[in-house]
Amino acid sequence: MFLAIRDLRRGARRFALLGSVIALVALLSTVLSGLATGLVTDGISGLRALPFDRIAFQKGADATFSRSTLRPDALRQFEKVPGVEASPLGASFVNAAPVNGGPRLDLAMFGIPADSFLVQREDARAALAGKPGLVLGEELQKQGVKVGDRYVMGGSNVELPVLGFTFAGTYGHAPIAFVRLDTWQRIQYGSDADGRFSAVVLSGGSRGIGEAADRTGTVVISKEASYAGSPGFTAETTTMTLIRSFLLVISALVIGAFFTVLTVQRTRQIGLLKAMGASNGYILRDGIGQMAILVALATAVGVAIGTGVVEILSRGSAPVELSPRSIATVSLALVAAGIAGSLVAFRRITQVEPAIALGAEA
Amino acid sequence: MTTTPNTLDRNSNPTGRSAGTAALDLRGVRVAYPDGPDLRVVLDDLDLTVERGEMVVIVGESGAGKSTLLTAAGLLRRPDAGEISVAGTATSVLSERRRTQIRRDHVAFVYQSANLLPTLTAIEQLEIVGHIRGERSAVARARAMELLDGLGLAGRKDQLPAQLSGGERQRVGIGRAFMAEPTILIADEPTASLDPDRSRAVVELLRSAADDRDIATLVVAHDEAPAAAADRVLRLEAGRLRALNGTGAGPTVKM
Repeated sequence: MFLAIRDLRRGARRFALLGSVIALVALLSTVLSGLATGLVTDGISGLRALPFDRIAFQKGADATFSRSTLRPDALRQFEKVPGVEASPLGASFVNAAPVNGGPRLDLAMFGIPADSFLVQREDARAALAGKPGLVLGEELQKQGVKVGDRYVMGGSNVELPVLGFTFAGTYGHAPIAFVRLDTWQRIQYGSDADGRFSAVVLSGGSRGIGEAADRTGTVVISKEASYAGSPGFTAETTTMTLIRSFLLVISALVIGAFFTVLTVQRTRQIGLLKAMGASNGYILRDGIGQMAILVALATAVGVAIGTGVVEILSRGSAPVELSPRSIATVSLALVAAGIAGSLVAFRRITQVEPAIALGAEA
Repeated sequence: MTTTPNTLDRNSNPTGRSAGTAALDLRGVRVAYPDGPDLRVVLDDLDLTVERGEMVVIVGESGAGKSTLLTAAGLLRRPDAGEISVAGTATSVLSERRRTQIRRDHVAFVYQSANLLPTLTAIEQLEIVGHIRGERSAVARARAMELLDGLGLAGRKDQLPAQLSGGERQRVGIGRAFMAEPTILIADEPTASLDPDRSRAVVELLRSAADDRDIATLVVAHDEAPAAAADRVLRLEAGRLRALNGTGAGPTVKM
């Protein structure tokens, strides 16, 4: 890369435009990546935090809690499967109005029995086993909600005190509120609950689960597959993936177009190098090396600025989150897009005739 | 004109010498370009031998095919027929990769407009030749410095082509050709864009390539200066070479 490096250094101005475009794409990709991860976390972190492997929904529910209603006999079928722990889970969205005034809360309410394997901490178990009340996600504490505050659950007359806070996460962009299953049933169905709940969560085992599902008319899916039921989850991840893919395609095209023009401009220079005895490989290494250096530098700058933007955004209410892994993914994807985009351009290098160095018709 | 290199009768060539010893040997070379529906024959059964240490100048009308002759002799294009041997190696049957290697190891060019790489300094124009040849960078730099020094350009070594005068650029171009330690140096009107003083300096350098470096030097010239220093002057006419200064297209007679 004897020539490539000197060319970059001394012709910095001609590369500045492309560098800026790549840096901007990298910036945008980083922020979008942060937003995508953040949205996923905001959508399903509450579900992800629960210690289960599989989940059984009513047939046709499509992993959506509001479409799934199961009864205790379904739970018993799963409890009979050897090696499997099963727990009912009631899940619904509820609007909670504070009794003594203040902002209303949108909550993703998870109802579980106090002795469920889902409740792992002793203090949480004790809190749920006692008088009915809410165990809220800790982010609500930061918003000023206090232990002892009382809320009326929308759609019912049930009034509940805040019992405490835990790391609960969010579901469908709403903070989680844990209540005991019978409390959830009272809020959801009033006095006519009949033991109903939304789904059965399962831990451990594998053999016999399918048969139990057949007997109960349920569909058992993996924990990860159940994320798709979170409101907006599929749409959000699809949109983000689409935008990021477009960005990659755009940067591949921009880089490809730039290096095509550059290669055409350099036709005579390439002919000269060939006349000097440089092989196609030598010239290709030079060109690809130059592109890789440029893309790597510009990407580094863009990702660095993007990380800063995500950091600033994360102080506000935007759901952003950036891991070293997603930074690496963004960077590698851009470099790969650059190489893919410039392949067409570099193919021209091999087609340049050395004779043009002498100004002769090739 | 269907002569192929394999069937060429070497004894029939006018110089009567074998291809094995000459630095550059063209035998029955034919190049034709499509010209509308017709074919325009530019080089027609052309023979030429240039020995190491010999300076041959080719003159001719514009469009006579002088540049075509240089591109063929420098292995930049394959002739339509005939054989070109460089340092004893017949090249017609070789792959493009191998021809590129022979160019790298045996052939260097000096162009009318110097043809320097715009983003390299004077010394780097020479160093890149070493880099292409796989030379260690310290070795290449030392050789480049020595050559520039010999060309009186040591003080200009860090200048870019745009900062050099036309004469300086041409001397850097010649330095670059020397850097390749070639068997053959091919120069395409190297003095055409220079004033008489600078032109004379360039001709002296080309002459020294033949005399001091034992390089077979083939020069195409429009003006008088190079011809005056040549061992032989040949005129390219109707696709063939004709001796002008009485020595004939035969064995070298040094002046």
